[in-house]
Amino acid sequence: MFHREAGVFKTTYAADMALYPLPIARWAVAGVALLFAVVLPSLLHEYYLSIINLVLIAIVGALGLNILVGYTGQISVGHAAFMSVGAYTAANLAVRLDLPFWITLPAGGLMAALIGAIVGIPSLRIKGLYLAIATLAGQLIIEWTINHVPAISGGAQASIEVPRPTLFGTELKTQGQLYFFLLFFAALAIVATLNLVRSRIGRAFVAIRDQDIAAEIIGINIYRYKLLSFAISSFYAGVCGVLYTYYLGIANYEQFQIVVSIDYLAMIIIGGLGSVLGSILGAIFVTMLPIVIRWIVEGFGSYFFTASELAGVSSSARLIVFGSLIIFFLVVEPEGLNRLWRNIRNYFRVWPFSY
Amino acid sequence: MMIDELSFAFSLVVSGLSIGLMYSLIALGFVLVYKATDAINFAQGEFVMLAGFVAAGVAAVEGMPILAAIIAAVAVMVLFSFALERVVLRPLLGRPIVAVIMATIGLGAILRGLPPLTVGGQTQSLSLPIGDEPFVIGPAVLPPIQVVGVIVSLLFLGAFTWFFLKSRMGVAMRAVADNQQVAMAMGINVQRYFALAWAMAGIVSALGGVIWGSMLGVDTHLALVGLKVFPVVILGGLDSIVGAVIGGLIVGVVESIAAGYLDPFVGGGTKDFAPYVLMIVMLMFKPYGLFGQRRIERV
Amino acid sequence: MSASHKCWLYAASVAAAVGIGAGAAAAQQKELVFGLHCDRTGATQTVGTFLCPGYHDYIALLNSKGGIEGYKVRVIEIDNEYKVPPAMEAHERFKMEGAVLTGLYGTPQTAALAKKLDEDKVLGTSPGFGTAAAADGQRYPYVFPIAASYWSQGTAGVAFAKERLGGSLKGKKIAFLFYDNPAGKEPLPILEDLAKSEGFELRTFAVPAPGVEMGAQVLDITARYRPDFVIAHLFGRAPSVAVKELKGKGYPLSKLVSFVWGASEADVKAAGGFGAAEGYNVMQFAGVGTDYQVIKDINAMYKAQGKPEPKEQEISVYYNRGVMVAALHAEAVRNAIKTKGGAMPTGEEVRKGMEAITNFTLGGLVPPMKITPQDHEGGGWVQIWTVKGGKFAKAGDWKQPYRDVIKKHLDMEAKK
Repeated sequence: MFHREAGVFKTTYAADMALYPLPIARWAVAGVALLFAVVLPSLLHEYYLSIINLVLIAIVGALGLNILVGYTGQISVGHAAFMSVGAYTAANLAVRLDLPFWITLPAGGLMAALIGAIVGIPSLRIKGLYLAIATLAGQLIIEWTINHVPAISGGAQASIEVPRPTLFGTELKTQGQLYFFLLFFAALAIVATLNLVRSRIGRAFVAIRDQDIAAEIIGINIYRYKLLSFAISSFYAGVCGVLYTYYLGIANYEQFQIVVSIDYLAMIIIGGLGSVLGSILGAIFVTMLPIVIRWIVEGFGSYFFTASELAGVSSSARLIVFGSLIIFFLVVEPEGLNRLWRNIRNYFRVWPFSY
Repeated sequence: MMIDELSFAFSLVVSGLSIGLMYSLIALGFVLVYKATDAINFAQGEFVMLAGFVAAGVAAVEGMPILAAIIAAVAVMVLFSFALERVVLRPLLGRPIVAVIMATIGLGAILRGLPPLTVGGQTQSLSLPIGDEPFVIGPAVLPPIQVVGVIVSLLFLGAFTWFFLKSRMGVAMRAVADNQQVAMAMGINVQRYFALAWAMAGIVSALGGVIWGSMLGVDTHLALVGLKVFPVVILGGLDSIVGAVIGGLIVGVVESIAAGYLDPFVGGGTKDFAPYVLMIVMLMFKPYGLFGQRRIERV
Repeated sequence: MSASHKCWLYAASVAAAVGIGAGAAAAQQKELVFGLHCDRTGATQTVGTFLCPGYHDYIALLNSKGGIEGYKVRVIEIDNEYKVPPAMEAHERFKMEGAVLTGLYGTPQTAALAKKLDEDKVLGTSPGFGTAAAADGQRYPYVFPIAASYWSQGTAGVAFAKERLGGSLKGKKIAFLFYDNPAGKEPLPILEDLAKSEGFELRTFAVPAPGVEMGAQVLDITARYRPDFVIAHLFGRAPSVAVKELKGKGYPLSKLVSFVWGASEADVKAAGGFGAAEGYNVMQFAGVGTDYQVIKDINAMYKAQGKPEPKEQEISVYYNRGVMVAALHAEAVRNAIKTKGGAMPTGEEVRKGMEAITNFTLGGLVPPMKITPQDHEGGGWVQIWTVKGGKFAKAGDWKQPYRDVIKKHLDMEAKK
């Protein structure tokens, strides 16, 4: 990630596919791991950890959506609903059967994968806008079902309080404790995705995205892989929903409405479609954007506005900046933050002897 | 009792048909753009909202006739649509569909962020000088604004049908929609027709904004009517003017019937959900809608 | 001037600067931080853009008069866009800044933060939203509805119908038109219970989001069910659509009463204006209009600064609710500081201060509530206002009907 190689000396396919092209990459990753596992949690105030926690959860969801949209070229406007499927599955298992998180978390993911695959069935016949709207319908139908089936939603309030996760007998409830919990799953999701996209399955996804007819001709079963992509992607979404549930201590369908689906789409667009690093950068960017805008407005705005006006300005500014950035990235830098990062890296690769 | 039940059903259908045409009014803008330029506007609701704000702003000026407000809304929407096409959508030509969808979603966010900064968050009222004497058809009564909506929708239907079938520009636009490269080769200025399509969508959105705005009042809630577009256009077919109208009628009636006959049994609002279920069924069996053009592509 | 003099001057000015800084730090110790969640850009922005300025203006007024017992108040407002994760971030921020209390915003956000507030021992107020069960102070020690819950509003609606229909509901028909989400469904058990005990027939009519159109439901009400009274519990644009539709179908608005979130000037305006909505009844948990001393004081403060009256007062229903929340926050903190003899209170002490509030009416803007460690709702007071002659007019005093029913349901919730 941070290294500069001096040339291409790969002689085998295995070397070309390696996650760590050079020994230094391994050290860089180890350094990042050390930073996140030891340095950050011991230096940062709980508040900043709480922001990182939200980012970590978002990373899981964004990776999942990117597998579907960025790698397979399908589209889903209903990912928030898959999150709610995971959240309610886990919440019901945790409350009714008293199961620990290491069972409810994969269970939530699997249930979301199942529902996701069902919602993905129309993708076998339709694409593009039609598919977008079919998944939108999926979102509304899932929301309606949760809202109206008390067996799922746990009563008219449609929210289920979930006990905090426990690990080795300790209840994880402070931001610091939850940080490690979430960091583990976010790291797992990143590693899993990195491996998925260089596997046979990942390459099949890319083939479908780039040219579906050609993919079918070279022997990829398109139906199977499209559904698989929906299932894997929804599995991530489900896990993301479960993480939200444990983090907030509550499953509530109103936190998984369509605006959330749109936020996640924005993450992968701004971050970069079809890129793991892009998903991570996008998740950071979209989660941090309102916070940073508020910091800026609070910092400079107090000279011009009263506290009340200030809050209004920062809110509207956030919406406008958010919308403008989406358009900016689409028009000017379609490959997103990931591409910007690569440009910077390429610049420094030959620095100071660039021409 | 039987008569009562019948007249209730009749009223439900009439109210469904009229509200359905009000949906068509919004869906038409969407279809026009898609038909001619293959672009998808997820910010159709925000377009309607913007038009509403412009019209309400002009109408609020002392002594300004309502016609001036409508003209202003049309003018602003046409200019805005032109600008949008040039600045945002033209660079996105040939890019995956998700790019255009997200660009319009981003645009929607900008449009929703603007009113609180400029005109404030309060609800603006906008009233057309049509009184509020309900319009009676047998046992059914309709609010006058819905009658206006119905008339405008039908007028647009007539005008656009004529335009696309008979007028030279309309035929050219269909050619552009069908195959841009061939159209170019035939000497059609593709870019001009793209702009024209957006301008027409701007006019439709402007009138939609005025009519829906005077029905609901103008504030950011007005953008929510955009959500109603999708089942309408999928049912009718994305690129069919007639489809938008028929789709609207179907959605309106289905909603009405669901609320009148289904809700009492399930104890919840099935109204918003019924059209989407119908839409999914349609997607599975007839993916290009009732009147949509079939694009044959088998995988 | 020699070089050494210059050097000396420089050092002095630095010292002075440091001294000022230290002074500022000392002043900051006499500062209280209030955290305010708000929604100015999300689903409920038409409420938040009026309610939150009311909150800020009251605090500004308080500060202009010397603050609370010598402490200045700093409000940190965070817009959560009606989403849950930003509300969590906001809570942590408030905690870091040392907020002594927080004002929550939104039902799902309240549900998600209830546990956190408990763990961090900072109270949160949820006026007019959140779960009705939170009125039980034993179960939710740090959540304070401080205004009539949806249950209390349900009882108030039935009591008002009873009053309007001549003192008895036996054999009458009431329609409940509600927004089809958890908040909308919350009063159902109360209404069903009252239907049994009062002997009226109840039928419910759901309006799914976004509720911009409800011709069929209203037709069902007016043409098929033909109720004697309609109680509406709607959000967003839906209340005004309901008023328009009911009126258009010939139903008298005097037999319609709305819950608190369909009760603002904006709803009436969108329904065609005060002239068209004549007779429409609404529930309030704070006073309406600008005819209160505290509002006049706020305007006087702005006038003294050479500024116009806040334009948010145009929707006085929400603005006043913001003022009310701010005033109750300030009162709770004042109680806490007084019992502590002027020292900075902790979150727990502020909770006790809140639980000591009785009869704090702010000239009639706030109901005569009594908040106790058991009852965080403060009695569930509701006042009905009616659109009359171009404005909202009081249709009665503050009331808290059927408290026994509410008590019974709270006990049932607690046993769950």
